[in-house]
Amino acid sequence: MNVWNIMIKEIKSSLRSTQTFIFMLAFPILLMLILGTALTNAFSSTAQIGDMQLLYSNKASNPQLIQHWQGFSQAIEHEGIQIVPAADGTNGQEEIREDRYTAYVELGDDGIQVYGSSKHAIESNIIQGMLTAFANQYNLAAAAFKQDPSKAEAILANANGGSHIVRETSLDPNKQAGSMDYYAISMTTMIALYSALPGSFLFRSERTRKTAIRLMASPVSKGSLFAGKVLGSTIINFLCIIAVVLFSLFVYGANWGDHYGMVFLVLATQVIFSISLGLGLSYLLKGDSARSFIMIFTQIASFVGGAYFPVDQRGGAWITQILPYISPLHWANTALTKIIYADDLMAAWPTIGVNLGIAAAFLITAALIMRKREAL
Amino acid sequence: MNVLEIRNLTKKFGDFVAVDNMSLNVREGEIFGFLGANGAGKSTTINMISSLLRVSKGEILILGRNIVSDSHFAKMNIGIVPQDLSIYENMTAYENVSFFAGLYGIRGALLKERTAEALEFVGLADKHKSFPKNFSGGMKRRLNIACAIAHRPKLIIMDEPTVGIDPQSRNYILNSVRKLNEMGCTIIYTSHYMEEVEELCTRIAIVDHGKIIAEGTKEQLKAIITDTKDIWIGIKSAGSQDIEPLKQIQGVTSVRLDENTIKITSKGEVNNLNRIIQQLIKDQAEIRSVEEQAPNLETVFLTLTGRNLRD
Repeated sequence: MNVWNIMIKEIKSSLRSTQTFIFMLAFPILLMLILGTALTNAFSSTAQIGDMQLLYSNKASNPQLIQHWQGFSQAIEHEGIQIVPAADGTNGQEEIREDRYTAYVELGDDGIQVYGSSKHAIESNIIQGMLTAFANQYNLAAAAFKQDPSKAEAILANANGGSHIVRETSLDPNKQAGSMDYYAISMTTMIALYSALPGSFLFRSERTRKTAIRLMASPVSKGSLFAGKVLGSTIINFLCIIAVVLFSLFVYGANWGDHYGMVFLVLATQVIFSISLGLGLSYLLKGDSARSFIMIFTQIASFVGGAYFPVDQRGGAWITQILPYISPLHWANTALTKIIYADDLMAAWPTIGVNLGIAAAFLITAALIMRKREAL
Repeated sequence: MNVLEIRNLTKKFGDFVAVDNMSLNVREGEIFGFLGANGAGKSTTINMISSLLRVSKGEILILGRNIVSDSHFAKMNIGIVPQDLSIYENMTAYENVSFFAGLYGIRGALLKERTAEALEFVGLADKHKSFPKNFSGGMKRRLNIACAIAHRPKLIIMDEPTVGIDPQSRNYILNSVRKLNEMGCTIIYTSHYMEEVEELCTRIAIVDHGKIIAEGTKEQLKAIITDTKDIWIGIKSAGSQDIEPLKQIQGVTSVRLDENTIKITSKGEVNNLNRIIQQLIKDQAEIRSVEEQAPNLETVFLTLTGRNLRD
């Protein structure tokens, strides 16, 4: 029953603390808004494609090539590319330089010359890609013609259908994280990690407030005090995390996927981990050094764990590849991303296991030191 | 019946002996004064009685039961009023008292009744919904007491309960102490204000260097030093008076300056009042009054410990 009393007191005290609301609620919500809005373009999964106009000059006399080109032209016109024949005396390259067309093609018996606009790199690359497909197909037909003309005609006839010159393959763009989605996750896990700070104050605050004297003089065991305070702090910090998740979901429209249970389970273990870390360090380190250590650790862990910007582990020095793995934020973010975007629920378990394992180690350490101490 | 029995109590911090083989009994219904200068071992003793510190050697019995082997019983019967305010600023007065009383297993309607009763007792019933951060120093001190008494302990330990408060609040607290005692509580009272101890306490122990150097009623303690006398001389601007020449006068054992009064303790059999007055005239002091006093507790304390209580 005393565990319950102490837990309720802990929750009530925290709910009345302005610091809790500013730090655990306002801070992550505001950062989500600032970073999510400011870095929208960095997370954009779609590119804006403008109108594409292809200027061409046909100097070829080969009827097969001309026929094949006409089939290709129809196909790409169908995809929205405007094909414009160059008038006599037109300098195609100059037209491109003047930014009047996206690309210029010179069709001749000896091959196809393509000039793309550097001002419209994406559009120009799309056209070049299509022309490469066209050239490959024509070369294939030409090679086949030498062996068996009937097969070459079949290839050309098939190509002229145009259905597979341009084929769209989507990688499920709806499953890509936007900036707000990214920062909703990273800010939530970052603030869960910051629960280490209230964790480090759990008993230290009783000592500085002198209430430890009265608690110790009461017939409440150290075990009950320990359990009540850890439970109370975990609940209030987890409630803050739930509030942050719900706010980002309903106000910012962040994507938290469909597996809310598993998402909250990962976040709950993250809170338990952080509080235990703070509590353990407050017993392992003397004076105010636990607080300083936690501030430095959470900042570094946030930075390398991708709280402020995504960390690309591919390439770079070995340290940039290894550092994220030491960040509890990285473990949690990776698990949450897999749960939300790949429906991979199994990805949660390693993170849950590591969080709870480390939490248990810190809790046991704190409990043993506390038991050994005369006061709290 | 002894509410508290201390037998050969010792507390060591490394090589430092804070409490040295102390023995003491506090009887039921007493207001027991516990006097000692800073570092005398008084707080260490109180902290061991309150289970805040472990006993190095010896034993402490509360109502005949050992506080180590029967700690739950001992704690249930002790109420602590710490010197430092031990309350939660972000909880109302009611919540503070209710929370601490709840730790003693009091629940439901009884908890509400005891909480209201404790707040009423210290005169904070009408402020039960207020937060201590809005309280005056005196009100906080009273709340500090309410938190210690709601579970109706047999023994209340009050460590400097009137530090830094206005005279009105101090009177309120002193009256509360008397009332608690009349209601059957045994009280251990420590204070730096000697007049409080003299006014309240039925028995007093003087602690120095971890040992009890004197114990008894006020009269018994004063009887220890019948061979001394106090001479109080009121002068204008006593602060600027050089007291060294006064200390050299035959029979003078100590000289203290207290606002506009020079307090001299002297051997009783030496007639040195004339020489003291002559010295002051020589020093051009403007004498306003001269009083020869019977020894009080402060004199007793000073004589026994060689220190002022507030040192």
